[in-house]
Amino acid sequence: MSTTLLPEQRAGDAHKQTKSSQSKRYGFFPGCVAKESCKELFNSAMLLADRLGIELVELTAASCCGASVVNDTNRDVARVLNARTYAQAEALGLDDVITICSTCTGHMRAANKELLESDVHMTQANAILGKFGARYNGTVTVRHLLWLLIDDIGLDRLREMVVRPLNGLKVAPFYGCHIIRPESVNGWESSRRPHSLEDIIAAIGGEPIDYAGKTRCCGFHIQLEKEGVATSMVGQNMRMAKDRGAQAVLTPCPLCHLALDGYQADSAARWGRTDLPTFHLPQLVAFALGVPPEKLGLNKHLIDPRTVMVAQELIA
Amino acid sequence: MAQITLDVFRFDEAVDVVPHRSQVTVDVPETTTVLDALETAKAEVDGSISFRRSCRSAICGSCSMNINGTTGLACKTPCNTVMDKDGVIQVDPMPNFQPMKDLVVHMDPFWDKYTRLKPYLQPADRDEDHATERRVSPEDMKKLVDVANCVMCATCYALCPVVSVDPAFAGPAAIAYAYRFIEDVRDSKRDERIAQISEDYLWLCAHCYACSYCPKHVDPNDRIVDVKRAAIADRVMMNERGPRHALTVNRTIRQTGMLDETELILGTIGRFNVRGLLKVAPLGLRMAAKGKLPPIFLKPIPKVDEVRTIFDALEVPVA
Repeated sequence: MSTTLLPEQRAGDAHKQTKSSQSKRYGFFPGCVAKESCKELFNSAMLLADRLGIELVELTAASCCGASVVNDTNRDVARVLNARTYAQAEALGLDDVITICSTCTGHMRAANKELLESDVHMTQANAILGKFGARYNGTVTVRHLLWLLIDDIGLDRLREMVVRPLNGLKVAPFYGCHIIRPESVNGWESSRRPHSLEDIIAAIGGEPIDYAGKTRCCGFHIQLEKEGVATSMVGQNMRMAKDRGAQAVLTPCPLCHLALDGYQADSAARWGRTDLPTFHLPQLVAFALGVPPEKLGLNKHLIDPRTVMVAQELIA
Repeated sequence: MAQITLDVFRFDEAVDVVPHRSQVTVDVPETTTVLDALETAKAEVDGSISFRRSCRSAICGSCSMNINGTTGLACKTPCNTVMDKDGVIQVDPMPNFQPMKDLVVHMDPFWDKYTRLKPYLQPADRDEDHATERRVSPEDMKKLVDVANCVMCATCYALCPVVSVDPAFAGPAAIAYAYRFIEDVRDSKRDERIAQISEDYLWLCAHCYACSYCPKHVDPNDRIVDVKRAAIADRVMMNERGPRHALTVNRTIRQTGMLDETELILGTIGRFNVRGLLKVAPLGLRMAAKGKLPPIFLKPIPKVDEVRTIFDALEVPVA
C-alpha cells in the first residue's frame, strides 16, 4: 500500500476492492463544475477511461454533492442528497462511485461515512428517499479517479501504457484540500505527506516538483467572500511552485483548476508573475497515454498549456 | 538509542537582521518526542536555543512549532514519525507569526483576536442577584466540552491559509471559542457574539480543514460550520456575502439539482450590485473568450423533484 498512514488513520473503505473494480464498470459522478465551466475535464476523463479499458457509467440524475457549502445552513441535507445518488448507483448494480473532483470526493465520503456509521442517519435518509420510492442499502464506496488509477490500474501498468512520455516536464502537484483532509474521512494516503500525484507524474515521464503549497488551499470556496483573499492564496501557492522550478501544475480538482488557472493573472501584483499552466489529472494522463491533444480541451485554459508543451517538445 | 539531528531556525530580533540555522545532534531514543530532543540539545549541546514549553504533556499548549514543514505540538510528536532517513528533523517557529527568538514567536495577534470575543460568560443577570446556581443539562454541556479542551496552542492559527494572506481573519481558534459561548445556555449575548465574529470574517473560512490537525481534537473546522448555522438560524448579518453565498447555493441546488455557477455569482454579489459585478467582469470576459463560461440557463437534472422533496423535508433555508 503506497501510503505512510498508520493503520488506525486509514479510512476502512478507501483501498477496498469493489465489485466494480473487478468488472471494470464504475459509477461515475462528474460533479457540477465538470459539467459547467470545466467541460474539458469531463471529456478528458471519458477519453482516459476509454484508453484504460474501463467503463464510467455516468449517474445522470445525480445532484450536487453539497459542495461543502450546504453544510453551512443545514447539517442533514448533504447526507440525504448523497444517499439519493448512492441509491441510483445501487439501482444500476454499481458499488463504486468514481469522482473527478476533490471537493466531491471529500463531501461524498463524509456523507457516506455518516450514513454507514449511524442507524439514525441511515433511517432518516431512507425515510425521505422512500417518499419517491428510492432506498440506499449502504453498499457504495466513493473514490477519486486518482485512487482508481493507482489501486485498480496500478503504476506499473500505467507506465507500460505511456506512449507519449512527458520528457521530464517539471510538474507541481496540487491536491486540493478535500481529497486529503480530514484524514478520518479520506484516509487513502497521508494528508501531510501525500505522494499519489507525484507517483502519477513520474509514471508518465514527468518530474514531480516538491513544494510546501501542494497540500494548501486554493481559496476557491471564498472567491466571492472578500476581494483579493483567494487570489492571494493562489499567488502564494504558485509562487512556491514556480520558485522550485515548476513548469506546470497538475490537479485532481476542477475547483482548484478554476482558481489556479483564473487568478494567477490577478495575483501577479502581490506575488509576481507565475503564469503556470494547470492540467486536470485526466487531461495530462490521457495525453501521455496517447489521446490526441486536440481532443483534451487544452485551448480552454486561461493560461494556455500548449506553450510549455511545445517548449518541452511534447506537441508540435 | 538513535542519533537525531535537529536543524533549528535561529533568530534573535534584538540583534539579528536575517535568520540562520544551526544543526545540533543528540543521542536519544528514536521514540522520544521532538520536545525532549530539543530539551536534550539545550541541556547538553547548546544552551542558547530558545523555545517555549511547560507541561511536556499536551496540556499547556506552549510548544507548538513547525516540524518538517507542518505545525504541531513538539511534546506530542515522536521523533521517529517525522525524522528523515538520516535522522534529521527541521524545526522552525510557527508560520503566520513574527519570530521573536529562535522558536519563540510574538503571540499578540492570536491573543488579540481571542480577547475581542470577550471570552467569559455573560449571563443576563449578576451572580449576586441570581438565587440558585446556573445549571446546564448534560446534553447542553456535551456540546461545549470538546471546545473547552482548547489549550490555545495556536497550531490551527499557524496552519490557516486564510490568516497567511489576510491577518484580519479571526482564525480557527477564536471562532471555535466563540462557539463555546454562543452555544452556552447560560450566556445572554448569543446574537451579539455571532455579529462580532461575523465582523471578524467568520465567513472567510476557506473550508480547507487545515485546522482538523488540532492536537486536542477541538476540530475548529466543524465548530466554524456550527457558528455559521447559528448565524443563519438567528438571521444575523444576512446581507453579508457569506450567508448570501450559502443560501444561493441552496436555492440553485433546489431549483436545478446542480450548483449553478452563473447564478452563484449573481446571487452572492447581488444582481443589481453593478460595482461588485464589474469587479468580477474581467475574469468572466477572459473565460468567455475561451468558451469557458458556465451556461446562463442551467437545465435541471432528471427527477429534480426528488431533490426538492429532500430540501423541503429537511426545511433547508433557501433565502
